[in-house]
Amino acid sequence: MFAGAFMMGAKDRLLPPSVPFRFFATAVLMHVAGWAVLLAGAGDLSGYMGGLGLPLAGLHLITLGVLAMSGMGAAFQMLPVATRRQLGPVWACRLSWWLFTPGVVVLSLGFATAWTWALHGGATLAVAGLALFAFLVGRNLMQVSDLPGVTRHVWLAVVSLVLLAGLGLLLVVDLDIGVLPDRAAVAATHALLAGYGFMGMLTMGFSMVLIPMFVLSQGVPDRVGTRSAALSAAALLLGAGGSLAGSGAAAALGGLVGLAAVAVHLKAQAAVLKGRMRKRLESFFRLVKGAWVVLPLSLAAGIALALGLAPDVTAPLWGLLLVLGWLLSFATGILQRIMPFLASMHSGANGGKPVLLSHLVWETPLTLHVAGHAGGVALLAVGLVLHSPLILTAGAVLGLAGALSFALFALVMTRRYQAYENTKNKGTPPE
Amino acid sequence: MSGDILKTDDGKAGPPAWLAQALDVAVLDVRPSLAAGEDPLGLLLTAADAVGFGGFLVVDAPFNPSPLRRVLAARGFSSYGRRLGPAHWRVFFHMDGGQDWDRDAEVDVLPEGALTWNEADGLHVDVRKLTPPLPMLAILRLLDGTAGLDALVVHHERLPQFLIPELAERGWQVVRTAEEFQDVRLWLERGS
Repeated sequence: MFAGAFMMGAKDRLLPPSVPFRFFATAVLMHVAGWAVLLAGAGDLSGYMGGLGLPLAGLHLITLGVLAMSGMGAAFQMLPVATRRQLGPVWACRLSWWLFTPGVVVLSLGFATAWTWALHGGATLAVAGLALFAFLVGRNLMQVSDLPGVTRHVWLAVVSLVLLAGLGLLLVVDLDIGVLPDRAAVAATHALLAGYGFMGMLTMGFSMVLIPMFVLSQGVPDRVGTRSAALSAAALLLGAGGSLAGSGAAAALGGLVGLAAVAVHLKAQAAVLKGRMRKRLESFFRLVKGAWVVLPLSLAAGIALALGLAPDVTAPLWGLLLVLGWLLSFATGILQRIMPFLASMHSGANGGKPVLLSHLVWETPLTLHVAGHAGGVALLAVGLVLHSPLILTAGAVLGLAGALSFALFALVMTRRYQAYENTKNKGTPPE
Repeated sequence: MSGDILKTDDGKAGPPAWLAQALDVAVLDVRPSLAAGEDPLGLLLTAADAVGFGGFLVVDAPFNPSPLRRVLAARGFSSYGRRLGPAHWRVFFHMDGGQDWDRDAEVDVLPEGALTWNEADGLHVDVRKLTPPLPMLAILRLLDGTAGLDALVVHHERLPQFLIPELAERGWQVVRTAEEFQDVRLWLERGS
């Protein structure tokens, strides 16, 4: 008899594949939409310092639609396995998607068009979806006493999420009734908490489990994880506090402490790579390594911005390096690996031979995705520095081409998975 | 790491069922006391007196403490000993009336902390109480690094879902499982 038949105590931590894959599929589509909207608004990117319009809509399609969406899917799937505790009922995970996905679409529409109903309705739905996610993750973490390196980062992400969602709602309300004395400071704090706090801490926390698992290496020691979490907490406190209070010096100091946290994190990841059993790093790792290179650069740009150095360049450059350079590179790199990995895992979970990873993965579109993404981010950076709409447009075209290529990979992978499952279910032994 | 360097238990097969519950118990390490020339027997008996029926005592010693095991057997303790390395034994005591008082196994310890030993049905690896991804790492290290290995019995806390794709890529699969309290056993085979 196969494991799945009577392994419910062990198996019930595995969510149905429809839960994580609805988040991942949505992220893939939002990835294309985000780059397309950035391309449409490429003429407004130079010197962009905030405000409604296509750049803000494209930015949120990426941050909420891709980064948060894939983070939620990954957390729902991975966290209960890593912590060995239940995360929540399946219906609640599904409900968070049903709230969050239309919220992101409508909110982005509101950012692009300045329609009040879309801004209010989209923000309310998106925050409701995120609040449910934060509740489920928080409840899971409260049962965990081990894995402090991972859980402290995820706690920081949850706290940041609550704060950034509150600030985000304030920013939307402020558009109508002008409640904020310094809107720019609140917007910067919202961005900082979203980038480094919510997504950044999820990225760093999950890296301690995911990267060792994918390269087959020892995990990051708890004492190292807790050290990087403590430094990150101090950096977020200084950075967000300084930004909100309008103190550039405090925010810059937060950036410096953040660099120390990043140094601890990257040194630990380097040790993971050094001790790995899987000698050949797979193609997804090109994006992960690129993300690691850009992460400290984003902090350097943030420090320059906090000190008031050429804000018309450093402000959009900071956003670009943080969101597209670090977080999007890392998230799509992990998606390249985790989608076929989970598909293979689920295909074997109910018995029979699982579909091979190597059967699901089509390398060519992945390589094109990496090239398009890297080229797009590089050209956008050059375009922002040179204030060149032409270069910015070319960068967005490359980024969109990469996103389309990644979508093609996801489509082919899904078809191969379904074909394998159909063959298996008909009783024909799959090859 | 090779299975053929592992020595088998010459009597009873494998660890006792109660071992899983003992793995969480704090270890009383008497090696420093012995190295300092002190006799830890009084300390050990005091610790044993504090263990109620159904409880556990775990002792680290530089040798197999047979006299202590006999003394505690007379007080109702079963024991299970593992040689963890040169001059390092870990003995698990269980206050159960001494039903099964004397088991030993010479085990090897993988870099991840997993224990391996041989039984009649082949090589066993115990990855319980290891934090992810160490269980997967230990299992794959055995599969990749043990020449001539065609079957492996894994003692796990749960069905390791994330291991399944890695097994498939290597031509291995789970052919049978059994679940007991805190001991999910998986029989892995190559190419079946």
